[in-house]
Amino acid sequence: MRHVTACFRKRKHGEFKCLSRSFKQVLAGFYETGRREFTVLDSDMRFQVIVAAVFWSGFVESRKVRGISSSYKRFYKERKSFLCIDGSKIIPFEQVNDDYCDCEDGSDEPGTSACPRGRFYCTNLGFRPHYIPSSRVNDGICDCCDASDEYNSPAHCQNTCWNLGQKERAYVEGQMRTLDEGLRLKQQLIEEGVLLWREKQAQLRELQQVAEDLQIKLEEHRRRKHEAERLKEQTLKALEAGDSGKGRILMRSCCNPYSITVDEVKTKVVLVHDEERLLSEDEALGLLGGGHQIDLTKFRRTLWDVLTRGDSVKVRSISLHFQHPPRCFFAAEWEATNLKKVEEAYETVNMEISDLRKKLAIDYGTDWEFLFLNSQCYKLKVYEYIYTLCPFNQVTQKNTAGTEVSLGTWGMWAGMPKNQYSQMVYENGEPCWQGGSRTTTVTLTCGTETALRSVKEPSKCQYIMDFQTPVACQPVLKQRGIHSEL
Amino acid sequence: MPLLPRLASYLHPERMVPVLVLWLAVCLTETWAVDRGNFKTCDQSAFCKRQRALKPGESPYRALLETMELTNTRLTLQLINDNNKVRLLLELYRLQGNITRVKINELKPLKPRYEVPDVLIREPPTEPLSLLSQDENGVVLSLGSESQRVIISARPFRLDIMEGSDVLMSLNSRGLLTFEHLRMRKDTFSYKVTSTVASVWDNIKRVFSSQADPEAEKKEEADPANQAETTKDEEEKVEDGMWEETFKSHSDSKPNGPSAISLDFSLPGVEHVYGIPEHADTLRLKTTENGDPYRLYNLDVFQYELYNPMALYGAVPVMLAHNTQRTTGIFWLNAAETWVDISSNTAGKTVFGKMLDYVQGSSETPQTDVRWISESGIIDVFLMLGPTPKDVFSQYASLTGTQSFPPLASLGYHQCRWNYNDQEDVQSVDAGFDQHDIPYDFIWLDIEHTDGKRYFTWDPHKFATPKEMLQGLMDKKRKLVAIVDPHIKVDSNYKIHNEIRSKGFYIKNKDGGDYEGWCWPGSASYPDFFRADMRAWWASMFAYDQYEGSMENMYTWNDMNEPSVFNGPEVTMHKDTVHGAWEHRDVHNLYGFYVQMATAEGLIQRSGGVERPFVLTRAFFAGSQRYGAVWTGDNAAEWDHLKISIPMCLSLGLVGISFCGADVGGFFKSPSTELLVRWYQMGAYQPFFRAHAHLDTPRREPWLFGPENTALIREAVRQRYTLLPYWYQQFYHAHRTGEPIMRPLWVEYPQDPATFAVDDEFLIGRDLLVHPVTEEGARGVTAYLPGKDEVWFDVHTFQKHNGAQNLYIPVTMSSIPVFQRGGSIIPRKVRVRRSSTCMEHDPYTLYVALNLQRTAEGELYIDDGHTFNYEKKEFIHRRLSFAKNILSSVNLAPDAQFTTRSWIERVVILGASKPSKVTLKTADGQDSQLEFDFDASMSVLTLRKPGMNAGADWTVMLQ
Repeated sequence: MRHVTACFRKRKHGEFKCLSRSFKQVLAGFYETGRREFTVLDSDMRFQVIVAAVFWSGFVESRKVRGISSSYKRFYKERKSFLCIDGSKIIPFEQVNDDYCDCEDGSDEPGTSACPRGRFYCTNLGFRPHYIPSSRVNDGICDCCDASDEYNSPAHCQNTCWNLGQKERAYVEGQMRTLDEGLRLKQQLIEEGVLLWREKQAQLRELQQVAEDLQIKLEEHRRRKHEAERLKEQTLKALEAGDSGKGRILMRSCCNPYSITVDEVKTKVVLVHDEERLLSEDEALGLLGGGHQIDLTKFRRTLWDVLTRGDSVKVRSISLHFQHPPRCFFAAEWEATNLKKVEEAYETVNMEISDLRKKLAIDYGTDWEFLFLNSQCYKLKVYEYIYTLCPFNQVTQKNTAGTEVSLGTWGMWAGMPKNQYSQMVYENGEPCWQGGSRTTTVTLTCGTETALRSVKEPSKCQYIMDFQTPVACQPVLKQRGIHSEL
Repeated sequence: MPLLPRLASYLHPERMVPVLVLWLAVCLTETWAVDRGNFKTCDQSAFCKRQRALKPGESPYRALLETMELTNTRLTLQLINDNNKVRLLLELYRLQGNITRVKINELKPLKPRYEVPDVLIREPPTEPLSLLSQDENGVVLSLGSESQRVIISARPFRLDIMEGSDVLMSLNSRGLLTFEHLRMRKDTFSYKVTSTVASVWDNIKRVFSSQADPEAEKKEEADPANQAETTKDEEEKVEDGMWEETFKSHSDSKPNGPSAISLDFSLPGVEHVYGIPEHADTLRLKTTENGDPYRLYNLDVFQYELYNPMALYGAVPVMLAHNTQRTTGIFWLNAAETWVDISSNTAGKTVFGKMLDYVQGSSETPQTDVRWISESGIIDVFLMLGPTPKDVFSQYASLTGTQSFPPLASLGYHQCRWNYNDQEDVQSVDAGFDQHDIPYDFIWLDIEHTDGKRYFTWDPHKFATPKEMLQGLMDKKRKLVAIVDPHIKVDSNYKIHNEIRSKGFYIKNKDGGDYEGWCWPGSASYPDFFRADMRAWWASMFAYDQYEGSMENMYTWNDMNEPSVFNGPEVTMHKDTVHGAWEHRDVHNLYGFYVQMATAEGLIQRSGGVERPFVLTRAFFAGSQRYGAVWTGDNAAEWDHLKISIPMCLSLGLVGISFCGADVGGFFKSPSTELLVRWYQMGAYQPFFRAHAHLDTPRREPWLFGPENTALIREAVRQRYTLLPYWYQQFYHAHRTGEPIMRPLWVEYPQDPATFAVDDEFLIGRDLLVHPVTEEGARGVTAYLPGKDEVWFDVHTFQKHNGAQNLYIPVTMSSIPVFQRGGSIIPRKVRVRRSSTCMEHDPYTLYVALNLQRTAEGELYIDDGHTFNYEKKEFIHRRLSFAKNILSSVNLAPDAQFTTRSWIERVVILGASKPSKVTLKTADGQDSQLEFDFDASMSVLTLRKPGMNAGADWTVMLQ
């Protein structure tokens, strides 16, 4: 490369008059043309082709304009004049790369820093070619790995493309391996996911069955309870009939052995001197001491006594007969308890069903591949905090003192439409002092393990997490990887 | 960075429950805007209340003419207060450059009174005074060669400065001179009892503090034992707050008793006064009769309010007075708490009223009266007599020095945030600028970068390898600023603290122990920067081997240097703390000045005196311009705060502090995208260009608001970078002359009254007029283009406009209305790169804007951009001029030597006609024809690639 550099050094600012063809540039040109055609080949093979092209190229003559890619060469054919690529102006060809900006679009100065909107093409043989803004040409900072941008600057730039290329290749290979492995694992997880999904579905069905059974049971118990109550009432009536001479005011039944309500008082209690008239609401309330319901024992011990003594209400000679409750009373209680138990069980099962349904309603990816994350939690310590991500559930932060703060609960998938499963949002965490609440955005990246990789808080109360998992691996990424890397 | 939100957000929840409760209490009562109750009104400041209660026209002071002594350069004269017979000594000096200095002190003070050191750059050189006449009523002195005289009237004492038959300024014309002499405290009840009882008594008194204690008063009056030898204060009342003062829960013991001083100044013919920053108020100062005086007392004001006279972070006791005939200035050299009252006989009058007066011929001369009141110290006042605005700048510069010449890079764009969280964050923000092709020079680290708010240290996890980070920035020719605040964490494991404590460098409380207050680190002490040995030690801490992790591309930011003390009175230090022989009361406004001075000195020393420092400070005083940049503190993301940045920086520029800026985007709250864009457009045209944001606000790096807004911000920043040669030249000029860089229109158009109150637009130097868009949803702005003989060229479209008109300019989101004055030549570097350093060797484009006479002038200044070598004449300074169709570059500094690789790549002549040919003649005598392009629609002639070296002699002829 030495002759090429020497040739560059001769130029003053402006006139670039290096006519000798550069090995590197030609090579770059071939690389560039080759690029589009070789993209389907694997990297090793492409490299061989490039090397072959380099040797072959030694025989081709053409003038190289600095800073352009070979696809742009056609605009820079050496003629008397140069037409700005946007067609705005024609200038003498000597004014191409003469370090003065003539074209509005910067196309006359692809190799200098003269145009504000210009761009410089780094050939970067051995690595990736790319464009840099013209403003980075000869600014003393090495931008192109082939050092081509600093041809007239005090910066001593080394050509690092080969190293970078190797690193890149190694990296890409590593990525490939990761991707392969990731996809393999993903497949497993998909299968597991399907199984898990089925399992959950089965679980749901099972629960639903249990619920159905319980419902039948429930109805049975209700029926039995009803039966028992009817029996109890009959017994009570019988009791009342047998004791008719004594009672002046009648407690007609006792449905609830423990307490007495206003309604009961109204319907079951009559005054002796006017048995036809039902007690009014107020009277009944008065009898109960103002409440709508009262414990029976208490009623007997206090109010009833007061009433019978007749010093607050003018009702004379009233009495109420209570005996020890007959057996039918216990049966009714027993059935009531049973019913309650079954009702509770039914409720529990229904809650489980609704929980499960809610969980199953979450979008676990096209193949339920994210399902396995559901009951997992992942931790990461960052400086003084421990962060915990429980996917589809919540994110928390715990400090060294053990105080835990919610950074959000599961919100939704929030990736780009192209791959909505690349990002999750957890919202409505602990409120922040200036309003709003903590939120966490989780970016999912492909990896062979499932783990929380990084947590940041770029702005107060806004957290971003990098979460690696095989299920984030995308086959499409693999293809793109091959095409763009090298 | 004010107390509450920062405190609330940096402490861990469990540790800050009490704070949070406090905060909630504050927050619930007032969610936004300053809590005025935290800061004193004049009525709550005992001396201000006392002084303001005095009525004009009852001056007890009489000049004792028989005591007059006149040497060649100095006049002394005793004044006597006829009420208490206390004598004062008046000194009067004529200083070089049309300045008169008046000093008044007690003739025999009980103990010395504080005289501000270190602010004047030297003992000002004097000029001869001579006696013109004298009788029993007064004395007339001649002030040098100009027909200026000083008339000293004896009874009551009064001082008038005349020029011809005009009175320029009168002192004590309203008789408000007061000088509270130092006195022994009379035996009071609380004095007689033991100290324990006394403190109990104090507490009782505090409970009933609204009234003076009549018993103590009586006792004081009755007790004959304790009379100072020269005083006879039978008539003097001991008023509340003379010997002790309480504000909120804070008690100020006043062992020296009352010590206030006050003097009034009358300015005949003056209706416009300016200066006395820092206040969030209009450029033109308002009269204060109906409210508080303007207050000068450096304070950390949380969420400051706009358009009021409350004190802010800095204080420069300099006022300028201006009318069409003359500009004068008053520099009141006093570092204690100061209040300035302004009144005017025309203030209440409407324009119609004034006109009526004029027509009827019945008008009294307009006059502005000013009164300065300070809590302690002496009267030491410099009367800068102009007559032009630039004369006043030069007069003030001769006293306190000029703007330091900053490193060129510091004129670029600064990216700041509280906080960039860790090295990775810094790196990714840095990369973001490259990715979005936005230039920047400095990235900033706020307090969170330290190890637990221990300045000079790094958080061991988040900033584990600072040198690596700095090297990464250096590789891109960029720099970093790390914060170093003056409050030092009290922690025996902290080297800085241990050294300061062991050296006895901390400020002492009134009982002699190290003063401790509460600030970011929790309990903190405050180094006594008033000690030269302390400052030297502090400076030495910036040495590369002392400040671990520092490198030559790391600079410093001094915040909280009012000083801010979270649990102190008015969020600052107790006035009865002790700095050697002086109380904090005497020196308060100087603290920030000294902090920045010592820090800048440290940055100079670490490079062996080679490199220019860059230090940003929040608190400042007269003379702070010598040490770096200031910003307007903790503003808010509101349109009004965007607007106020203009008058705030203009006011600072008028008093010498040119390197001024406001937090772009607003510190508190989150700006709308429109406001953010507009703020970048404003900031790009203000001297110090830094975006900053509060910890609790969402991120706002320029690329976070969509590609359109990124492009708008990029464009604003790029405009800044293309103009860096002009900015740099302006700073060089300011450094040489003391003239403001960002200046009000009236400075350049002093005879055009239409400019006198303009503060929605400003000039950069003489040649650029900027009218930023500061209204939400603006469709247009109306800019006043000054100068009836001027033409102005829109710098974007090159359209020409006549001067002396209000021009409506339609605007879009990309508009930044900027005009170049016809008659000027502005050099630019249009190849904007990722940092200013990357542009060092780039070629120049000269923008030649022709005036009506078809001439233009400009300058080009070039040096290495970062060292003091310019002081050794290593620079290029050229005059560019265009006249008679010839553009030429001549050397303004033939004895200076510097070479540059930069060349002239383009000359754009605005308002030109089409030549037939253009010839370049270089120093070696060679002629060459230049290609050119002429745009007839705008009359713009562009010379293509003349190619001469920027340091060379050359001429270009248009034929």
